[in-house]
Amino acid sequence: MTKLRVSLISSFILAVGYVIAIFSSCSEKSLEGMIICTRVAAKLPITNFSAGDSERYIPQAQIVAVDRDNPGGSIKVLTSAYYSAHSPEISFDGKFLLFSAQLKQNDPWQIYEMSLTDLKIRQVTTTNENCTNAAYLPTGRIVFSKLAINDPLKGGHSLYTCDPEGSDIRRITFNPNDWFASNTLNDGRILTISAQVYPERKSPMFMILRPDGTKSDLLYKGCDGSLLTGSGRETIDGKIVFIESEKSNQGGGSLISISYNRPQHSRVNLSAEIKGDFRAAFPEPSGKLLVSYRISESDRYALYEFDPVRKVPGKKIYADKEYDVLEAIVIGKRQLPKRLPSEVDMSVKTGQLLCQDIHLLDPQATNIKDKLPGSSRVELIGLNSSLGTIQVEEDGSFYLKVVADTPFRIQSVDNEGHVLQGPCGWIWLRPNERRGCVGCHEDHELSPDNRVPLAVKKSPVTIPVHLNNGVEKKVLAD
Amino acid sequence: MVLGTLGLLAMVILFIGHKVAREHVNYMTAVEDHPLKCSSCHLYTSKNPLVRKLINADYLSPFNLAVSGDGNRLYVVAQDANALLVVDPLSQKVISKIAVGEQPHSVILSSSGQRAYVSNQWSDNVSVIDLATSKVIDTLKTGNGPAGLSLSRDGKSLYVVNSYSSTISLINLSTKEEQKRFPAGNNPTGAKLSPDGKTLVVTSRRAIIAPYGESIKSELTVIDENIQRVSDRKNIESAYMMENAAFTPSGDLAFVTMIRPKNLVPSIQVDRGWLMTYGIVILEQGGKGRIIQLLLDEPNAFYSDPFDIAITPDGKKAFVSHSGVNSISVINIDSIRSLIAESTPELLKIYSNHLGVSSRYVTRRITTGADPKGLALSPDGKLLYVAEQLEDRIAVINTESLEAIRTIDLGGPRRITVNRQGRRLFANAGHTFQKQFACYTCHPDMHEDGLIYNMAGKDMGRNLTNTESLRDIAETAPFKWNGKNQTVYKQDGMRFSTVLTRTEQFSYNDLDAITAYILTGIPYPPNLQYNPAGELTESQLRGKEVFERTHDNSGKEIPETNRCITCHPPPYYTNRKLADVGTLASSDDPIKFDTPHLNNIYASPPYLHDGRASTLEEIWTKYGTTDKHGQVNDISKNQLNDLVDYLKSLRAPLYERKDSKSFHASTISN
Repeated sequence: MTKLRVSLISSFILAVGYVIAIFSSCSEKSLEGMIICTRVAAKLPITNFSAGDSERYIPQAQIVAVDRDNPGGSIKVLTSAYYSAHSPEISFDGKFLLFSAQLKQNDPWQIYEMSLTDLKIRQVTTTNENCTNAAYLPTGRIVFSKLAINDPLKGGHSLYTCDPEGSDIRRITFNPNDWFASNTLNDGRILTISAQVYPERKSPMFMILRPDGTKSDLLYKGCDGSLLTGSGRETIDGKIVFIESEKSNQGGGSLISISYNRPQHSRVNLSAEIKGDFRAAFPEPSGKLLVSYRISESDRYALYEFDPVRKVPGKKIYADKEYDVLEAIVIGKRQLPKRLPSEVDMSVKTGQLLCQDIHLLDPQATNIKDKLPGSSRVELIGLNSSLGTIQVEEDGSFYLKVVADTPFRIQSVDNEGHVLQGPCGWIWLRPNERRGCVGCHEDHELSPDNRVPLAVKKSPVTIPVHLNNGVEKKVLAD
Repeated sequence: MVLGTLGLLAMVILFIGHKVAREHVNYMTAVEDHPLKCSSCHLYTSKNPLVRKLINADYLSPFNLAVSGDGNRLYVVAQDANALLVVDPLSQKVISKIAVGEQPHSVILSSSGQRAYVSNQWSDNVSVIDLATSKVIDTLKTGNGPAGLSLSRDGKSLYVVNSYSSTISLINLSTKEEQKRFPAGNNPTGAKLSPDGKTLVVTSRRAIIAPYGESIKSELTVIDENIQRVSDRKNIESAYMMENAAFTPSGDLAFVTMIRPKNLVPSIQVDRGWLMTYGIVILEQGGKGRIIQLLLDEPNAFYSDPFDIAITPDGKKAFVSHSGVNSISVINIDSIRSLIAESTPELLKIYSNHLGVSSRYVTRRITTGADPKGLALSPDGKLLYVAEQLEDRIAVINTESLEAIRTIDLGGPRRITVNRQGRRLFANAGHTFQKQFACYTCHPDMHEDGLIYNMAGKDMGRNLTNTESLRDIAETAPFKWNGKNQTVYKQDGMRFSTVLTRTEQFSYNDLDAITAYILTGIPYPPNLQYNPAGELTESQLRGKEVFERTHDNSGKEIPETNRCITCHPPPYYTNRKLADVGTLASSDDPIKFDTPHLNNIYASPPYLHDGRASTLEEIWTKYGTTDKHGQVNDISKNQLNDLVDYLKSLRAPLYERKDSKSFHASTISN
């Protein structure tokens, strides 16, 4: 009888607990499907990208959640505790929100993560330097931009990765460029923007690299006279959409689409027939794009559902005359990109580079001249000095072993040392990375000719060349 | 107390058992987190006939097909069922299933539509079928490995491409006798007669064997049908795996599918086509007679393993099946003509490596089911039929809308077994970066492609590697030439993705599947060329004596370690141990070599780990002078010929097993 009584009481307690749990879960509306936006009340700062400014540090920005089914309803401010917050990114499982924020006005910007279940926030990075533009990697790590103070590589913001707790921070870009606006392509590589800052400033370009910093390569360099100002994002049908601004109008720009399969020759201006400015684009599973758009400079940016087939802004989703709505992203699960293996081996101090033929130029140039007469040498230029000049092989090939994580540029020179072509953009090799190019000023769409480069029949030339002699060679032992 | 003791004992046993199992699985897979699923190895790769019967299924595997003149019948080669299926495309039903020879390859129809000819690649014959009665009425003897077929212009003779013996048979259909036999390229396959009936083009898959470093070339054999003789041998530079050909209706252009491999370039990256590219060879039939190569790939997307090609009757469109990416490329032929007309020879040469130029002429990619192979157009050109080999069905594509409008189920098993899933993975490029290549690409027919790759183990230019066959390798571990992979699990695991495929590694379920397929699903073809019935020729018998000898020609005993039979005992002709046979090159890392198995060794040239020996003879005449690779320097030229004859006679382990007892080491030492 006692046992029965205990059982009944236990069952009652369990039942009450279950009912309470159900009610409490119903009282919290799920954020699934809601739109996360960045909005700014203050007047948008005038950004001079040519001078190196960017919109990664917008003052007094807020991240808010908007119910797309009831956009006129209450807007939930998610970052009210912060002086400014922006650059929202949703985890692949749709459960977390990553963002950059400044707790107080003069604090360094840091990366934070919010649980979308209970809206609790935790700080990911804790440094004295500004960290921003964070994105999830498919391995669970996080990639972000960090402004290195007194960077020996003379860069601006470089890319770093860290584990979800913010530890094990690893730098993955090693050149004097500014890197920002990263996210992940379905093939597992990081899509990001990079702009050279040393020795002279150059226009930003879309770059791709593997999450370990290897195989950094150009994806799209933009039209002459234009600037890339924000993230490129991959659509479900193999396009990459982004905003490209004219230098004269750097606040906003055109909505551009390129094909992942052929990025450098597939540019389509989706907004060519539309007046006004676009600020950001986010692809939805439906094929539509969430865009930040304003009709004229006197208007505020608002959120629209853009139809890329009809090329019209479509339905206005969220607008507020007190705010510019700058970024948008939808809460929900996304396809997990490929988790790429890494060839980086930190016990190795060098990387290797093979060039198949320095004489090979863009095929369009072959009608005029497909060889560089007299070019038999290449010079490698470091940040502060020449790293050496080497003789290329008869077939135009060269094969280098370069001290890892060291930026260098390559230019072809004649026997008298006169520069014939170049220098190219800054390159680096990660420890144990091996990469190849078909030519110095190659067409990025050329695959290599199937022949054995003469250079690989010999040992690689060590760069800097002075390390080939003396005790310093020990540094390169791997 | 007793229960407690038993419980404690059970826990101890469980703990120890788990630890042992964990260590075992860790060793077999070379990782520490592979699930402890006994079924992975002990069920899916089981050799027990009953278990294999239960876990596998008998699939059809449609490979090639033909359409009747009125468009009312499809004739589908069901390769794994050894049958020709007669299909009504309207009712979408299989009407009859006609048993043919082993591993049927191609089917063609007589112009009257009364006969079908089916090449049986593993039977060395062609089945002649009366389509009115659906009966095999005759069997024509061919050369070794009959594949592509073509009727002569007058329909009185049949050209048969003998893929294994690299010849072309011309068979008189009245006398049923072979009239002529022509040498062809290496591993020829497809045959296509020009619309005017004057020219027959025969493709070849393997490159002409040449020393590593020389540009690879593969032969297109051209036969003048008027005189029925070979009129030209066109060496196609930097291309191989030319599977099939098609002519435009006007006959001005012939198209051939092909792969442009990068085996001579260090395999340091996949990006930008550094391992494989895919496209078509275009042969101008008149005018300048140019040979042009164009890729079907894009800079960040590869269309691996082009197999068949079909051109619409109006000559406007060509369709190419890509078995590695489950896709059909649609080509605008007029755009090709424009491109060729406006481009200089120099530019066309650059275009042969250009990944972006395909946007000029590829107008669409149509998704298909798994492993699209043979193509056939309806007589009016409005429908394209696609043999989806690993779906057991035919896809039907509207050639105007360029959309798949339906599929015809051929009635194969509905369930996808683990083994079948493994085969799908093997054939598909989805597990390489940007889908640049499939396992099948370097291991066509699950064999090897005859190429030597610069795997660039540590430094570039080092570690040249001769591709190894995957036929029946379950009992031949360890794997790789250096024997470092104790299992296929390790071979296809994490390191494989790091240095070769350069994308996410196989999931463990997929790894289980592909391992099961590799270990149990890849049989040897019969050795009909050198040992059709298991009876050795006199030369082969003499060669066997040399192979098994214990004393040299002077009567001196040969050290046991230097006898052929010691390292190469049947049934696999490998002792599965590492050996130094004196062939280490200065460009090799210092390793010993895993002793290779020798079954069907005749079909795997070139030889040695870096493919330096073009023939079996060269292993000893050029590269065995130190007697480290068996003691052979005392033997005469005739004895070497006999030895080579014997080696070529070696067949699948299935046939060799019966003699294996007599070759145990103890026996040898007696």
